Amino acid sequence: MASAETGTSTGKAATGVAYQIPRNSLALLMIAQVAVVLPYLLQLSPWIVAVGLFCGMWRTNVYLGRWDYPQRWVKALLVVACLLAVGISGVGAFSLEATASLLIAAFALKLIEMKSRRDAYVVIFLGYFAIATQFLFDQTILMAAYQLVAFMLVTAAMVGMNQRQTRVRPALSLKLAGALVLQALPLTLIIFLLFPRMAPLWTVPLPGAGKMGLQETVRPGDIASLTQSDELAFRAVVNGRVPPPNQLYWRGLVYSDFEAGSWRAAERRRAASEPLTEPGDLAYEVLLEPTMQTWLYTLENSTSEDPGIYRTVDGRLESREPVLSVFRYRAIRHDRSGDAEPLSDSMRTRETAIDPGANPRIQEHGRALLDEQGSAVGMVRAVLAEIQQGPYRYTLSPPQYPGRDSIDDFWFEGRAGFCAHYASAFVYLLRSAGIPARMVGGYLGGEVNPITGHLMVRQYDAHAWAEFFDPALGWVRVDPTAAVAPERVERGLSAALSSEDRASLSLFTAARLGEWDVAADLLRWADSLEHRWNLWVVGYDSHYQSRFLKDLLGEVTPSRIGLAILVGGVVSLGFVAMVMFWGRRPVQRHPVEKAFRDFSDKLAGFGYPRRPEESPSAFVRRVAHQVGLAEAQIGGLVAELDTLLYNPAVAWGQRELRALRSQLRRLQFRLAFGTTR
Amino acid sequence: MLRPRELFIGKRFSRWLDRRIPPSSQITLTQKNVFIFPTRTGFAFGGLIVLLILGAINYQASLVYGVAFLLGSVFLVTILYTFRNLSGLRLTLAGTRPGFVGEDLEISIRVERPEGRAREGVQLSWPEGILQWAELSEQATDHVRLYVPAPHRGFFDPGRLLVETYYPLGLLRAWTWVDLDVRALVYPRPIFGEFPKTETGHRDEGELIDPLGSDDFHDIKSYRPGDPIRHIIWRSYARSDELMVKQYASYVEPRLWLRLESVNGDLEERISRLTGLALQATRLDREYGLKLANVRIPPGRGEAHLEQVLRELALHGLR
Repeated sequence: MASAETGTSTGKAATGVAYQIPRNSLALLMIAQVAVVLPYLLQLSPWIVAVGLFCGMWRTNVYLGRWDYPQRWVKALLVVACLLAVGISGVGAFSLEATASLLIAAFALKLIEMKSRRDAYVVIFLGYFAIATQFLFDQTILMAAYQLVAFMLVTAAMVGMNQRQTRVRPALSLKLAGALVLQALPLTLIIFLLFPRMAPLWTVPLPGAGKMGLQETVRPGDIASLTQSDELAFRAVVNGRVPPPNQLYWRGLVYSDFEAGSWRAAERRRAASEPLTEPGDLAYEVLLEPTMQTWLYTLENSTSEDPGIYRTVDGRLESREPVLSVFRYRAIRHDRSGDAEPLSDSMRTRETAIDPGANPRIQEHGRALLDEQGSAVGMVRAVLAEIQQGPYRYTLSPPQYPGRDSIDDFWFEGRAGFCAHYASAFVYLLRSAGIPARMVGGYLGGEVNPITGHLMVRQYDAHAWAEFFDPALGWVRVDPTAAVAPERVERGLSAALSSEDRASLSLFTAARLGEWDVAADLLRWADSLEHRWNLWVVGYDSHYQSRFLKDLLGEVTPSRIGLAILVGGVVSLGFVAMVMFWGRRPVQRHPVEKAFRDFSDKLAGFGYPRRPEESPSAFVRRVAHQVGLAEAQIGGLVAELDTLLYNPAVAWGQRELRALRSQLRRLQFRLAFGTTR
Repeated sequence: MLRPRELFIGKRFSRWLDRRIPPSSQITLTQKNVFIFPTRTGFAFGGLIVLLILGAINYQASLVYGVAFLLGSVFLVTILYTFRNLSGLRLTLAGTRPGFVGEDLEISIRVERPEGRAREGVQLSWPEGILQWAELSEQATDHVRLYVPAPHRGFFDPGRLLVETYYPLGLLRAWTWVDLDVRALVYPRPIFGEFPKTETGHRDEGELIDPLGSDDFHDIKSYRPGDPIRHIIWRSYARSDELMVKQYASYVEPRLWLRLESVNGDLEERISRLTGLALQATRLDREYGLKLANVRIPPGRGEAHLEQVLRELALHGLR
């Protein structure tokens, strides 16, 4: 890449001293390396970051002249250490984490052994690459601001590469790099808005570490652990008034298969046709935080027109691609009451399946209840009444129900559980009686941010409820939690918690749940900022681009986009050029000086340049002498020139100036004539 | 970048350059005579951007797009910076110092920048010479001394001077080839040898005197202590009361005339030998003159004389 340039910097001859990377650049590069590697602590094994920082420390000591470059075996050891670190961090061999780990390792190891100009540029490019890769894990506004600084540091190191070895002025390099980046930002924005977005070209390694959130397989106790997290699940913008919390059942997964104490959601089949013909009554948009999964969260009976999204048989929305970064989708809730489509036989078999050998007591209880009530609806009512009246308790930390008959243990013995325990037992009771039923996992409610009016749904809003099939009504939602803890459904988790449950909450969760008002306000403000960032930057995808372009250009054609990029580029670069070259405008000169300058420029063109040390009159004399003009022919002019230029006592006006100009012109003409001779 | 090829500026390109940037001992760099093109590093940088855009497409990550576009924009802004680094510079030929064939000639060039705007990383070089940096960050003017190997005697034009910069990022190279109309004088390569022995005997041409142990009368001068007593002219002492002594001299070496006929070899070799003799004579502080076909420099000594002689030898047969 730079071998030829290495030549230019070291002198062409190989006789000179060996090339050395400018110290200025080295110092900046080491600082930049630390800045770039540090955020990876959030995603990668600390070991890989440690190896990276160790390399940085070694290089710093080489820089300071304390240590020598590492021996070959040390480098080999470091490579092995990096590979081991990737190995023990337990990420998949082809996951994004493994790739990023190797990138960081390469970055660190190249830094320690770099000597040539080319090496330094490889490190610089790896630095930029590592900055971009970090955004695959984290695209928050805070990270973006941090990485902008890291970007400037790497750029400053590149500036240092082109300064003299002897100049060690990192502050100046940094200032220039900062100016460069800031001046490039408007153009970046223009390209960002206009550059056409495309669908993924091929499948890529995904982050291996599962994100927090609902999983495909869930034990009833799992959802309680989610409440320990205040991590955002998604934000939603509702057109019009936000429905009350007890109507905001965000469906994510439908758990139909129960086996050995855990529920599994495996349904991915696409719904046969467009089943929802009813009018939509609520339009909303969801900005889903990365889940690395394909399922989406929607209100009941929702459809979406967005590309890449389809509706499944169990009435959920799925994305074709895993959600790797903030994913925006628009959906419409349909007003559906009444007439249901019939349940297929295979579905019916599946939604009534139970293990006949496990939980015998609840099976018997279910059958007895149906006999007693006679109908599915009646039976549901009876179960809810039982929960309400019985000594059942809603708690974040229920006892463990580990055995084979875990539902029996909960229902008849422990009688304390979280939402999923109730939902799970409810479904089991109905299935025992032959009524199709299933558990649904998702989120309930959400907090409205008063600043931007959007809904924030966090992990602690995770919830599980049940649905049963009624031949007349279709699938009907039942939330058994409402029977034991109606506050949870009406007013959110905080209201339903006992004081000991509250004490177990994490600090941030407590703050968000309104334990401290000021903190909650601050967090809401930060959230509104992040929301806007997601709306305008992170979530700016092909859909929003085409809408934006339609507003901007009227009609979106490649030529118009090209023209827009061109115009934007010229304007923004023109502005930068103006700022850069403005200071270069010659200052308003003395008119006599200007006249003489024009004259001497002309003469330089004829091959009589003025020497730097020559005074104007000396210059005229010399040139006149060279072409053989007599002193008499120029004497007047020289005197005039000296007077007008240097004698402030002599007043002169336009007339004198005109006279001088014509004299200069005449001399100029004579000289021109002389030279062509 | 393309240096090996640029060593042999094509004839056509050279003619085009002559029209575009005519030779002059003073040149101000403007957009008319500065060229700019990405370096190999610059192309690699472009590759990095493409790679990041591919990543952004596949991961649908807006901020990866952002990094790619920021890199692209920085590249475009750098075009302005790199160009500005050369633009406005005024190059003036400040002088040349003559040298011998085979040595490096010193050519000094005055580089001035407009007030206010610091420049960095401005590099000057002749294709055969060693590259030098102009220091223009703190001072507005720098005198850069460049050394070019002198290939032949006479006036030497080292050709076009390469003025280039990779500043600030090394992604782009701005350069120009300027002809500062350099005419550097190159003296012949000296060959040192014996002084020719043939020139003897002519009283009217000899100069060097060996005052002792000789028998040809030469002059009369007043006595100074230490003069041999047998040289005292007693007769004149009787008349004038002043001691005078006779001086005897012999022409041990006659005047040294450097002539092509007095040395061997072909023309160039003869000129080289005379050059060597002139240098040796100057070192020994002997007087010498030069006689060539149309040139006659009377005997003399000293640096100025040497320069005059060397100049004539350098230009012999070339005018």
